[in-house]
Amino acid sequence: MSVGEPIAAQARPGRGVRIEARELTRRFGSHVALDGVSLTVEPGEAFGLLGANGAGKTTFIRLVAGLLIPSEGHLEVDGISPATSPARVQARIGFVMETSRLYPEQRVRGFLRFIAGARGLSRPEAVRAVEATIERFRLAPVATRLIGNLSKGFQQRVSLAHAFLHDPPLLIVDEPTGGLDPVQQREVQEILRSLRGQRTLILCTHDLNEARKLASRVAVLREGRLIADGLTQDVLGEGAVLELFRGSDEHRV
Amino acid sequence: MTAFLALVRKELNSLFAVPTAYVALTMVALVTALIFFDHLRIYNQVLFLYATTTMGGFSSGEIPDYINLWDTVFAPVMETLGLTLIGAIPLVTMRVFAEERSRGTDELLLATSLTPTTIVVAKFAVTFLFVTLMMAMSFIYPATAIQRGGLGLWHLTSVFVGLTLHAIALASIGLVCSAFASTQLVAAVSAWAVAFVFWDFAWIHPFVSEGVAGFLDLISLHLRYGSFAEGIVSLANVVFFLGVVLVALAIARFSFDLRRVGA
Repeated sequence: MSVGEPIAAQARPGRGVRIEARELTRRFGSHVALDGVSLTVEPGEAFGLLGANGAGKTTFIRLVAGLLIPSEGHLEVDGISPATSPARVQARIGFVMETSRLYPEQRVRGFLRFIAGARGLSRPEAVRAVEATIERFRLAPVATRLIGNLSKGFQQRVSLAHAFLHDPPLLIVDEPTGGLDPVQQREVQEILRSLRGQRTLILCTHDLNEARKLASRVAVLREGRLIADGLTQDVLGEGAVLELFRGSDEHRV
Repeated sequence: MTAFLALVRKELNSLFAVPTAYVALTMVALVTALIFFDHLRIYNQVLFLYATTTMGGFSSGEIPDYINLWDTVFAPVMETLGLTLIGAIPLVTMRVFAEERSRGTDELLLATSLTPTTIVVAKFAVTFLFVTLMMAMSFIYPATAIQRGGLGLWHLTSVFVGLTLHAIALASIGLVCSAFASTQLVAAVSAWAVAFVFWDFAWIHPFVSEGVAGFLDLISLHLRYGSFAEGIVSLANVVFFLGVVLVALAIARFSFDLRRVGA
């Protein structure tokens, strides 16, 4: 899959999982992190979730991953509720969190073998999956090194690799290029491009260029509310973008 | 089962990858050795005095009954060891859950096929394994005293079981504190506080009714543990310590649910 290929051509609808949220609300005490969000992500879609820091993006994906329970509303992943059956949903998800959410004292291959085991893969399956993933994510040069000693770019690759070990139909990626230099950003974005199409991808970011490059459809959250949802070129068209973000930032300031 | 074993392996590697585990092992072994040899030295000196001089109404060479290896060496060593464990075990348990949470790797685990119950059971199992190893290492000197004092294998087993159950109960308290604490320091300090409170309630007896004092004695670690040290393996005491473990498991498991729904 080439980097320059149009996004719509790369997506293969019909594969991956379907996510449906209706009036989804999540409160933390008196703070409403997500406020009546309704949206649907179709199978095979590369979906970008945009918004300023604190807009509710991470809360949404943590709800999808079953790490949080909604305060109100309804959420289903392929017809399964992450709130009541988190294990069944998590089996379908590869969740890439921020780079720091790794074990710095572990070596890359050891960490991937642990995750494969924790995913329930038998020893031979785990060895096969780990070696294939190391090759796919070009981690061979660092496979025996401690994760804590790797550059941020490599750490993010390890993070992507661990989420991909069980070949999940849904890949959730939270701020994949945060804190990376431009070369590392490009590398991670290329990897994400290659992973699209065969699965549903939810990309959580506040980098508009990244969303333009990787997502076929985007939704914008502001202060927990869904304020835009549509094709990337429509939502992130000239002029519209800053208006979408401005209100949120001004409010926060 | 594969996921459980994977987590157990990872936990064992993590445990021995940090110096606190070795510090705790060394501390307990060292403190036990120091206390043991100090009491043994005093015992030998007293024996020598009784053997060579006439004192306290006893003629030379006549040794009173209360000067024996059990009362002079073994009992105080076990008493001090029980207290030492309150100081040492939270050093091991403080990181178990609190470190995962501070690094955000608790969500990494939950996003795999590991259920909260599997995570809690695996972490408890590894900690108990470590604590048992710690007890085996620190038990060498008391075991020697028991053998040399002619107390027999049954007594030896009883004391080791009691010591290990006491340590496991302390580890359970430490793990619960770690499951709810925001940092490792908070986990360790709260574990010390809770363990000291549950160690002995004798100090509170003058201030409460007889009924309350009786109840508090029922949940006193010191009294339960002391019974094993006397060589008495009572089913009630075994059930008490296992009960502490089960309650701790349930509370630690509950901490995961609380985080999913909590504010």
